[in-house]
Amino acid sequence: MSGVRLDKIVKSYGAVQVVHGIDLEIKDKEFVVLVGPSGCGKSTTLRMIAGLEEISDGSLTIDDRVVNRVAPKDRDVAMVFQNYALYPHLNVADNIAFGLRIRKESKDAIKASVDEVGAILGLTPYLERRPSDLSGGQRQRVAMGRAIVRRPKVFLFDEPLSNLDAKLRTQMRAEIKRLHKRLEATSIYVTHDQVEAMTLADKIVVMQDGRIEQIGTPMELFLNPANAFVAGFLGAPPMNMINAVVAKGENGPIASFDGQTLPLPALPDLQNAEGRPIIVGIRPEYANIVTAPQPGSVNCTLNLVETLGSEALLHATVGDDQFVIRTETLGKIDQLDHVNGFTVDPTLIRIFDAKTGKALGGQTRVA
Amino acid sequence: MLSSMNLYSRGDKLFVIINMILLGLFTISTLYPFIYITSLSMSSGFEARAGNVILTPMGFTLEAYKRVLSEPMFWISYKNTLIYTVLGTLTSLAFIIPGAYALSRPQLYGRRFWNLAVAFTMWFHAGMIPFFLNMRDLNLLDSYFGIIIGFAVNGFNIILLRNFFEGIPQSFEEAARMDGANEFQVLWKVFVPLSKPAIATVALFCIVSRWNGFFWAMILLQDESKIPLQVYLRQIIVELSDDEEFANTLMSAGYSFETVSAAIIVCSIIPILLIYPFLQKYFNKGILLGGVKE
Ligand SMILES: Nc1ncnc2c1ncn2[C@@H]1O[C@H](COP(=O)(O)OP(=O)(O)OP(=O)(O)O)[C@@H](O)[C@H]1O
Ligand SMILES: [Mg+2]
Repeated sequence: MSGVRLDKIVKSYGAVQVVHGIDLEIKDKEFVVLVGPSGCGKSTTLRMIAGLEEISDGSLTIDDRVVNRVAPKDRDVAMVFQNYALYPHLNVADNIAFGLRIRKESKDAIKASVDEVGAILGLTPYLERRPSDLSGGQRQRVAMGRAIVRRPKVFLFDEPLSNLDAKLRTQMRAEIKRLHKRLEATSIYVTHDQVEAMTLADKIVVMQDGRIEQIGTPMELFLNPANAFVAGFLGAPPMNMINAVVAKGENGPIASFDGQTLPLPALPDLQNAEGRPIIVGIRPEYANIVTAPQPGSVNCTLNLVETLGSEALLHATVGDDQFVIRTETLGKIDQLDHVNGFTVDPTLIRIFDAKTGKALGGQTRVA
Repeated sequence: MLSSMNLYSRGDKLFVIINMILLGLFTISTLYPFIYITSLSMSSGFEARAGNVILTPMGFTLEAYKRVLSEPMFWISYKNTLIYTVLGTLTSLAFIIPGAYALSRPQLYGRRFWNLAVAFTMWFHAGMIPFFLNMRDLNLLDSYFGIIIGFAVNGFNIILLRNFFEGIPQSFEEAARMDGANEFQVLWKVFVPLSKPAIATVALFCIVSRWNGFFWAMILLQDESKIPLQVYLRQIIVELSDDEEFANTLMSAGYSFETVSAAIIVCSIIPILLIYPFLQKYFNKGILLGGVKE
């Protein structure tokens, strides 16, 4: 069992508090991804778990042991750094073996471990090379090798792929996933790339300004974001947000904006709430294009069509709000330039309070 | 070479030519004394006395070397210089490396104060007499240990190495700590190997200053058997300049005061000349390449 628990973890630099009491439970073998915009405290949180930053307040538990005051080397965690931090004076094999040598393992055991890890990561042909003679992807792999060779309780990753080009990043992402399946080690992974978060995570933790906004599986967060921030953060392109007020419709509540209306799901929060300012959230994928007004459709002004091949992104405006529609191109390619509105299934609409950003009750239908 | 000059504009050419001339003059001015002394040491005493040696040895002979090498004090002082240089340099590095490392760490408590304290010694000294009295009161006169420890640490070398350590990305230290290294292992297994060029520089400074160390050795050492080569060299120059034996060398002309002095100087330069190429391989740049991606 290698669970990690954060209890009201706080980090202050002098008088400035940057992490404001984080509670997080990470189960054994779980792959948890911390996401959030730059400066939200992801690295700081990760480095507190690693033992590279002091914990200002709260308690950190690894494997049922409070480790606030335990040195990194005694926490049995390994970390992959964003800049790799490979020892330039050592070749690949020695880089991987460094931690084992420090731990005074036998020569034979070290050689066996290095060879095994080299094989897992496809580094066997490069074991004698210096880091300076490797490509970015290979260096990244060495950095991972150095972490996995010790079979630590917990793996920590701080944006390990952010220095790679897009193609390599996709490839390494798959490799990390494969490795995790194979090693089944508890992993905490920091990124600001929401695609990495969605694809890798068992559980995503969305952070903002040193606080946790929401914790959940990728699909929970995608379908039921707890607030407008999470909704806008996950998904590419992000969820569209239309500022509106609640009005009374014939068959229940409707959203009123820009002289138009849109039927809303019959949430309890919206009953008798006429005039309440809300944000209507619609995922780009859930809007269906129309070329002529239909009952229940919303009019929009088309500004730009980006054709990506099998799908297209339509950039439009609804009133003052930007609105992006993502649609298949198959059989629709001729219509794309003439789109002037869209329809949406009310059950797929998310509604947020305009002031607090909090999601208003109800579950999105899980398709 | 001239054809490659076509790549330069006329102004560039002029610059290159002036550069070459200046550097050439500079090279000659540093090389000439060395050539002169070497030639002098291999010339006959008569020619040396007569001032006929200008570039090459005149009346080639190794008599001066025979005379020097047959002198027991030469070997004693040579051995002492080797002791002061080797042990002195090792002692210096043993203090300077950990000291510089500690001063380079942001987590060092009172870091500004300690850095200032070290830098302070670069500009302000107690002065000669207090230093002498201090050494005397510590019973460090006339002792190998006194010379070695008394000059082991200097602020400049510490600051030099500290600056280099500070330039090594923090993540190397963090990676090593995650790999299980303690502070000492971080220093020894990561920082020291990564700092070979800087350490070689500091070592060279130590070696050269130890090898040429003269003034304090003369002041602090009365015991003949402990004096280094440079002090012996001075003694011999002072003593022999009015020595009977040398006054007569005009006749025998095998060696003279000048050629013997020159021979000692050459003997004392050779080790330093030999050590530089050995250290130079550590001066290769780019040792940090490839470790981190910025
Ligand atoms: N040594 C420090 N002293 C003061 N403030 C710091 C220090 N290190 C980090 N901070 C602050 O802590 C906050 C969180 O930083 P952190 O590095 O954890 O962000 P991050 O979420 O990892 O961002 P990024 O995605 O850009 O890496 C930032 O506002 C940063 O300015
Ligand atoms: Mg970060």
